[in-house]
Amino acid sequence: MDHIDRFAGQNQTGCPLPAIRGLGALAAMAAALAVVLLGAIVAAWAEESPGFAESIFQSAGPQKPVDSVLAVAPGDPMPDFDLPAIDGGRVRLADYVGKKKLVISFVPAAWTPVCSGQWPGYNIAKEIFEAENAALLGISVDNVPSLHAWVTQMGGLWFPVASDFWPHGGLAGKLGILRPEGVSERAIFIVDEKGIIRSIAVSDINVRPDLGELVRALRDLH
Amino acid sequence: MRKPVWCLVLAVCLLYPLAVLAGEASESPGAAPLPVGATFPDLPLGSALSPEQRAYLGIAKKEGPVSLADISAPVVVVEIFSMYCPHCQKEAPLVNDLFDLLEKGGHADKVKLLGIGAGNSAMEVDIFRAKFEPRFPLVPDQDFTVHDACGRVGTPYFYVLARKPGEAAYTVAISRLGRMDSPESLVNDILAAAP
Repeated sequence: MDHIDRFAGQNQTGCPLPAIRGLGALAAMAAALAVVLLGAIVAAWAEESPGFAESIFQSAGPQKPVDSVLAVAPGDPMPDFDLPAIDGGRVRLADYVGKKKLVISFVPAAWTPVCSGQWPGYNIAKEIFEAENAALLGISVDNVPSLHAWVTQMGGLWFPVASDFWPHGGLAGKLGILRPEGVSERAIFIVDEKGIIRSIAVSDINVRPDLGELVRALRDLH
Repeated sequence: MRKPVWCLVLAVCLLYPLAVLAGEASESPGAAPLPVGATFPDLPLGSALSPEQRAYLGIAKKEGPVSLADISAPVVVVEIFSMYCPHCQKEAPLVNDLFDLLEKGGHADKVKLLGIGAGNSAMEVDIFRAKFEPRFPLVPDQDFTVHDACGRVGTPYFYVLARKPGEAAYTVAISRLGRMDSPESLVNDILAAAP
């Protein structure tokens, strides 16, 4: 509102403006003022609504780096899954088996700092995944609406994002990466075209994993 | 008198949205940017710079690890970025435009560009480089050593550094968080702040 009051005050106190002659000029001036006021309203709204950074939840301190025990190992078949995705569809293991390698990135929770800084980096690595005939899938135990809002606020992602919300953490539990507080570990699974888990990386929940390590692991599958 | 009115309308329509949208950045908790006039730390740039990158920075004859102080140019623009920062991804083509403008304007010898990948590994910086193909060096800073020395700033962050003849260290001439208004305006700001 500060912007609007300031502009109004300037006009009332005789801020120098170009001379106005004729209806056309009057209409032009009105249009200019309308744009200014609209911009001011947008700016004021932007100031009052929290931005993406302010919407991120900050926990009190570091959490236990890893707090679960893996239930699968490289060489095991990937447990089957059929999860709702944020685009309204579903994501199934069967969508990939026999066609592509599948990289599954589990993140603990939407609207948290490290997770919000992890997937946007994958946005510029699409060609790398494609070059390895690999699909990327993001999963968290958040529900679909929350995941949808979060991904939208991040500016969107090129890869599908699925919800393991209900039964809560069902897939994370089968993999042994469901933590006692109900979120998943920060973990990356690489599944080959036959549906076999080839690589598992469960990393410190407090730290963003190096995308370079994932790329190396993917390339090492040859 | 109609012309000035329409000019005003046009100017308002063109400029106001830019003012509203300016300054997009990923903020960094605990940031303490180095202010204008501060002496900039001598950043280690490692030993992995390619011959082309060393030639660009004017340190082709120096082997092994190099640092900011080895650069001979009187002005250096340091962009602190992260490959994970969406604003930095959007900004990358414009920073390339900035490089081109400086080159076309005949300022390539005087003003050098340097990117620091805050928290990025060498391969992460390589991914960013492969995606956006900058013609200036990008240096990984995986353990945030350089980022800490630069004030733990958000990204993208632009430091324009100037060095007076005879001085070893660079001084901060511009210290700015967020995306630039335009490459043209930043070129003008650089040349005005570090003539």
